[in-house]
Amino acid sequence: MTWLLANLETILLAIFGVSALVGGVLVVMLRQPMRVAMALISTMIFLGGIYGLLGVHFIAAFQVLIYVGAVMVFMVYVIMLLDPRDPATRRRFSGLVIPGVAVAAVVAGLLIRGVAADAGTGAAAAGAARGFSLAEFASAFLNKYWLHFELTSVLLLAAVVAAIAVIRANREDHG
Amino acid sequence: MTQDLVVYAVYIGYAIGVLMTFGLILTWVERKQAAVMSDRIGANRAYLRIPFTQVKLVWWGLFHGMADGIKMLLKEDYKPKPYDWYAYMVAPWVVFTPVLLVFAVIPFGGMLHPGQLVPALAGWFGDRAYPMQIAQLDAGLLIVFAFGGVSVIGAMLAGWSSSNKFSLLGALRAGSQMISYELVLALTLLGLVLIYGTVDLDDIVRQQSGRIAGLPAWGIFLQPFAATLFLAAAIAENKRIPFDLPEAESELISGYFTEYSAMKMGLFMFAEFIEIAIIAALFTTLFLGGYNLPYMHDGGFSLPFGVEIAMSHTAVVITQVLVFLGKVFLLCSFQILIRWSLPRFRYDQVLKFAWKFMFPLALANLIVTVLVVWAMTP
Repeated sequence: MTWLLANLETILLAIFGVSALVGGVLVVMLRQPMRVAMALISTMIFLGGIYGLLGVHFIAAFQVLIYVGAVMVFMVYVIMLLDPRDPATRRRFSGLVIPGVAVAAVVAGLLIRGVAADAGTGAAAAGAARGFSLAEFASAFLNKYWLHFELTSVLLLAAVVAAIAVIRANREDHG
Repeated sequence: MTQDLVVYAVYIGYAIGVLMTFGLILTWVERKQAAVMSDRIGANRAYLRIPFTQVKLVWWGLFHGMADGIKMLLKEDYKPKPYDWYAYMVAPWVVFTPVLLVFAVIPFGGMLHPGQLVPALAGWFGDRAYPMQIAQLDAGLLIVFAFGGVSVIGAMLAGWSSSNKFSLLGALRAGSQMISYELVLALTLLGLVLIYGTVDLDDIVRQQSGRIAGLPAWGIFLQPFAATLFLAAAIAENKRIPFDLPEAESELISGYFTEYSAMKMGLFMFAEFIEIAIIAALFTTLFLGGYNLPYMHDGGFSLPFGVEIAMSHTAVVITQVLVFLGKVFLLCSFQILIRWSLPRFRYDQVLKFAWKFMFPLALANLIVTVLVVWAMTP
């Protein structure tokens, strides 16, 4: 009992980490779009759990709020509306399988290199994250990173304009 | 360490007990209140008979909730052949779980000193103190919205996986309606967050124990407009009449959960009733001073004109817990009053109401609040 309590965070971290990883693998392996979306949702929630364990609860909240509550809700909505049993989703590999694998290998290599380089300092960073409050985050976000944030909103605006343009073009085609 | 575990186990048990009881009682309140409002006698047929006697306990029909629960547990769990078995099975839980989780960040009482409350345990607990809240997170309100967003997915999964056109239509309506109103819901609360300067729910309650010009500094006095919008948007988010388009009986049988039976259907219904209590608890916490009576704080009362009344710790804890439950129950009853008073919107009206009426009003409220806060900041 005492051992369980003492190592509770490590055990939870292991559970969340493994579950997130399983979810990630399922996202790649599964073939039905809705099941892929569900696997992605579980991955996002477990990642949120990991952030919560590291003591940054608001990052965990944002993770679930934005990725699950907004992005994945729209994905599920779209999958629900379109026919998910489209024959295009039944082929095991798309035509872009070789470039895809190549890019994945490059990304994985970079990630492993980055983690290996940070191996000594990683624990210190996790310790520093503890006690990082919402107020500190908010002032850093709006003082230091406001430009990045505003640039993102320009990107979103461009996406909205593009979406409207696509709808317009379709309407003109079909009368 | 073990003391913490015991206290939090008690809190979690209390939270689940309260929510389940509210869910069960509200099914009865809904029928009984409808009867009272339309001058009928109402739900009074269920009773418990004391064995070997003819004494029947009717208790104003309170046992109807119990009868409902037992019926749902014992009914045949009829399983149609769903479009997607996994999504079909998991959907009720995706709807139900987040609703329960939201209560974790809602404070239902002030500081608890277990050593003072139970003198027998004073030696074991020492002078440890715990806020009466399961999770003391500085991101409290964000967590509420994070979990609130997840249950939309459950409704959509249920409708999509049922292989039924009515269910799919219901899921479609649930999806667009809940996405729209969630936005309004968050926007109405931004003004309040701006005034309090925090999203920590316990801190928000503590700030409401203060006074503004003689009145208690409750959110409803600071942001009366936001309070109205919040309640309307929350009822829409909960898909209740007048916004119950996703499950409109006369159009869609019962919408996205048409194909569910027995306790799986019960979970959807239960989630809806528990969410009534959650909305009431949130409204209490944000706008009605939470677990405190007006002018009350953890040490007793400090009334206007400098009158101070000290209270013992036990009295404070009991008052706070009861006041919280009382406020929540009154607000639940108010929501049911609305449910039996208003007719259902048409679907285009629901979405227009969100985007063309409530959204601009919430934005206007936010802008006015920003200007006032900016002007008052020294």
